[in-house]
Amino acid sequence: MKELPNFKKHIIEKCGLSETEFTQIAPFIKTKKVAKNDFLLQQGEICSHSFFVEQGVLRFYALNEEGKESILQFASENWIVSDRGSVFFQEPSTYYIDAIEDTLTVMLDEDFVNRVAKINPDFRKQNENLLQNHIRHLYKRISLLLGASAKTRYLEFVAMYPDMLLRVPQWMIASYLGITPESLSRVRKALAAENFKR
Amino acid sequence: MKTKNIEKVTRPGTPHYVGDGFRVHNFIPGTSTMQRMDPFIMLDYNSKFNFPATDKPKGVGVHPHRGFETVTIAYKGRVQHDDSSGGGGIIGEGDVQWMTAASGVLHKEFHETEWSKTGGEFQMVQLWVNLPAKDKMSAPKYQAITNAEIVKVALPDDAGEVEVIAGEFQGNKGAASTFSPINMFNVKLKKGGKTQLSFPENYTTSILMVEGEAKVNDATTAPQDHFVMFKNDGETFMVEALEDAVILVLSGEPINEPIAAHGPFVMNTEAELMTAFQDFNTGKFGYLED
Repeated sequence: MKELPNFKKHIIEKCGLSETEFTQIAPFIKTKKVAKNDFLLQQGEICSHSFFVEQGVLRFYALNEEGKESILQFASENWIVSDRGSVFFQEPSTYYIDAIEDTLTVMLDEDFVNRVAKINPDFRKQNENLLQNHIRHLYKRISLLLGASAKTRYLEFVAMYPDMLLRVPQWMIASYLGITPESLSRVRKALAAENFKR
Repeated sequence: MKTKNIEKVTRPGTPHYVGDGFRVHNFIPGTSTMQRMDPFIMLDYNSKFNFPATDKPKGVGVHPHRGFETVTIAYKGRVQHDDSSGGGGIIGEGDVQWMTAASGVLHKEFHETEWSKTGGEFQMVQLWVNLPAKDKMSAPKYQAITNAEIVKVALPDDAGEVEVIAGEFQGNKGAASTFSPINMFNVKLKKGGKTQLSFPENYTTSILMVEGEAKVNDATTAPQDHFVMFKNDGETFMVEALEDAVILVLSGEPINEPIAAHGPFVMNTEAELMTAFQDFNTGKFGYLED
């Protein structure tokens, strides 16, 4: 099997499976490579999987009627991204998922969960934990977007995604934060004025 | 003295772009791991490439460095750099810029504006030299070494000359100051010219064929743009030019400390890497417009 150190770590440390159990599930693991700028999901398609990022960066975004992008989520190593609504309700997605870097993903679906749960029933519980954690994260994100200053949004972002500033263009970060690229520059300039000592 | 034998000859792999201005073959860590090549932790080689004329200089935008030194050797073309402390300059043909990023530099590097307008042949090496743990958080500094300042040693029998960038060749010391023992030479040989090079057995030693073709130790041919890595089994090796040649020689004492590297930061521990990201994200490297 291909080397998937991040996914293996995720399954063992986050989901509580043993090394032996990981070996048992290895035959069910499906991976997908996506080249930079290529899509994993486009508007109108039914999303079939959740994607665990083994290596690379994905973004999950919407386009409004004027063609403006709003980025809902970035997913770098160890993140999971999906249009869960489209997967669960089997309805066409209104979102896009594409790759910002060449990316290797592990494809997760109900069949995979069932097979793993047969080997270790705790896996279902761990999966629910991930979902609840995701919902908690979304509440926080909505409240930041509705009420927080640009500086607070930025600081929360870099705390959660420490290396993203070096991996994705500034305008995408601004889109994620719901501010203009100029506003993001102002925030970063002000932080440098505060913290840069030479 | 015992002969230093070749471990591996590596041909230039598929090039990739750093920004849009540097079309490079990676030799370190591509050839081997950072640990094996210690203290040389990265080597990108822009083999001769023709960049067309443009009014918008190509290069690489704002990015940070911490924990090591970057050495830029310009063989063809000119590069302009600017940093968040207000520093900057131009690296011209034959010049070397030795930048100690240490605790942190935020900078950008582009083809120099006037050079971009005509474009032309571009050939450059960028090397990262690791710093000992005790120096990783020292103050950043630059050594802008113009070609005129580089010590040149003529070889006997009109074989050519050796430019001593750092370290020592036959008692001649290079201009660059280093934090750990490093030898860095441009050996320029005329066709048929040869010379012997000697470094301690434990030093990490390699050569890059910048120009022409050479025979190493009377046995192995090193073609242009190839990278030759030596074993740690002796002190001395011989290079003989099969045509006019320029050979970049690198030899340094391993620092032998743990390496934790992620993108533009090379530290000793994961915790130090996290701090580097936090410091960069919160403006401690300063600010620079793209």
